[in-house]
Amino acid sequence: MANELEIRNLHARIVDGEAILKGVNLVVPKGQIHAVMGPNGAGKSTLGKVIAGDPGYEVTQGDILVDGESILELGPDERARKGLFLAFQYPVEVPGVSNANFLRLALQAKRGEEVSVQEFYAKLQKALETLEWDESILTRYLNDGFSGGEKKRNEIMHMMVLEPIYAILDETDSGLDIDALKLVAKGVNAMRGPNFGALLITHYQRILNYIVPDAVHVMIDGRIVTSGGPELAMKLEEQGYDWVKELALAN
Amino acid sequence: MELTTALSRDLVLGLSQSLGEPEWLQNQRLAAWETFVKLPYPTTRTEEWKYTDISEVPFESLALERPTGRKGAIPEAVQARIAQADLAGYAVFVGSDLVHVELPEAYRAQGVIFTGLHEVLKERPELVRENLFKTVNWNDLVGPQARRPENSKIPALNAALFTHGVFLYVPKGVEFSKPIGVFKYLEGGHLSASRTLIVGDVNSQAVYIEEYISPTQVAPSVNTSATEIVLKQGAKVRHAHIQLLGQGFYHFHRQRALLERDAALNDLVVNMGASLSRAEVQSEMLGPGSASEMLGLYFTTGTQHVDHYTLQHHVADHAYSDVLYKGAAKDQSRTVYAGLIKVEQGAQKTDAYQTNRNLLLSEDARADSVPQLEIGANDVKCSHGSSTAPVAPEELFYLMSRGLPRHMAQQILVKGHMADVLTRIPIEPLRQYIESIIEEKVRV
Repeated sequence: MANELEIRNLHARIVDGEAILKGVNLVVPKGQIHAVMGPNGAGKSTLGKVIAGDPGYEVTQGDILVDGESILELGPDERARKGLFLAFQYPVEVPGVSNANFLRLALQAKRGEEVSVQEFYAKLQKALETLEWDESILTRYLNDGFSGGEKKRNEIMHMMVLEPIYAILDETDSGLDIDALKLVAKGVNAMRGPNFGALLITHYQRILNYIVPDAVHVMIDGRIVTSGGPELAMKLEEQGYDWVKELALAN
Repeated sequence: MELTTALSRDLVLGLSQSLGEPEWLQNQRLAAWETFVKLPYPTTRTEEWKYTDISEVPFESLALERPTGRKGAIPEAVQARIAQADLAGYAVFVGSDLVHVELPEAYRAQGVIFTGLHEVLKERPELVRENLFKTVNWNDLVGPQARRPENSKIPALNAALFTHGVFLYVPKGVEFSKPIGVFKYLEGGHLSASRTLIVGDVNSQAVYIEEYISPTQVAPSVNTSATEIVLKQGAKVRHAHIQLLGQGFYHFHRQRALLERDAALNDLVVNMGASLSRAEVQSEMLGPGSASEMLGLYFTTGTQHVDHYTLQHHVADHAYSDVLYKGAAKDQSRTVYAGLIKVEQGAQKTDAYQTNRNLLLSEDARADSVPQLEIGANDVKCSHGSSTAPVAPEELFYLMSRGLPRHMAQQILVKGHMADVLTRIPIEPLRQYIESIIEEKVRV
């Protein structure tokens, strides 16, 4: 069985609308963290949402495989239960359910069994410690009235408690100040290990100073046009995306 | 339309006699009967009933559910509720029979009266006479409703034919914070008619919860209820009407509260059951400083239809009222909300708010909302607003992407939608109960 998240020639469009992904090929082996970079409108966020099963998009060609198994026919909840996680760029505010209660429901749904309060709180405590966060965040309603930074940090806390096999982080770094960015990075790094793979979607190289990727892919107009090591991110930071765009045109 | 009617003047007379009622009450029943006979039923051409068609409701073909003398046996469904509700006292009706009533001695010693209306009629007839039909009767229409007298048709039917009722009297200065519960268990198949009369004397305080329960499926049944709340100066009542009747029921509720100076009502309507139901909740701010909070929660599934009407009638100056009704509709069900803030000339410094928000869980569900203002004073603060929106797909996607199946994600969104009403219910066991009903309804 393949130990990887594989995106194979993926084409997707907005339901009844414009094509966004035009043949994405990408493999994230378990145990590695890959970054997907690219200019605005390249389709990076769409890629994350399509992998997670956003019903607002339809896949017109290609496949998504988790450890060798196609997940295209699965709903977003079933994909989560297969071990996928998407940290949203814009987490939704849901009053009426506390952050902790929601997370416990999610963990139970994911495992398909009751999770004891003790075990659940032990996981929460660990996540809070890593993220240097106060317990008061648990009793607040899910994302309700959270600042932009708190929302992003909360997504990372959810990831740490739910322990996905493959996580996609959609611009988790955007809008964060340097301290918050370091904490988010600390959370992701704490997850690193042989049983965790991640796809880091970002516009800027900055977060890659704190989460050093195993590979960097550059996406332009719905395709990965070049890939490399962490040095590729540095080059993009220094030279911008123009040279890659030219590369894309040349291809 | 051909009608075989099971109702008649003789039925009204016979009922009153069999209940041993005094002459004044018999005469009032007969006056109500005359009005009932004279008035047409509201139709969808009646402004207040525009979205609710009651032409199929068997008002006159069902047998009236009369007392049978049952005592003692409390249905299991009611026992479960009593065990969970943490009540000070309670009464249980099965059909028209008051099978059990319980009030701690400490309350009775302070002069609290809580029992069946007909029981009080024997011991304290003057208390009943003074207050019965004072707020809800066959000629009680306010504002634009009054232009369409058919709005009195069903209350007239109730006044002529009510077979049982509850009376709560809280004496001057007596306060209690634990709820008194009234459970009305209906087996269905009848026309049922009941009344509730709550009198809060000067500076008293009470909590009253009324629940309608039945088997989940019943033969066609009609239930009409009328609740009268009389609040003297400084009296405070927290009141809840919880309707969880089964499929087959047509439920019609009218409630009106009179609030004297500095009186306060915290009202809650929860309309989750029945095939078709309509709840009319009206508060009359008669004294300065009075305040009426009116909350509503409804959630419909299948082919259910619920209809709500609220009236905030500001007669006195310096009074406050706030309506917040929130609902959700699933499948092919339908919800209606209409409300009126009516501020009389001279009711200066009125503070009145009205909000209705609806969440649609399916493409075939529908919600109609008609907020209205009629303001006759110039120095007031009034606002109204309403909205109806489907569940946002991105919200559902977010919750499902964490592993929650669709029904659980919807459940969370419905609870989230209703959160600002739920958090305003300070009675913890009641709030938990309502949350559990919502959860159950999303699942099926």
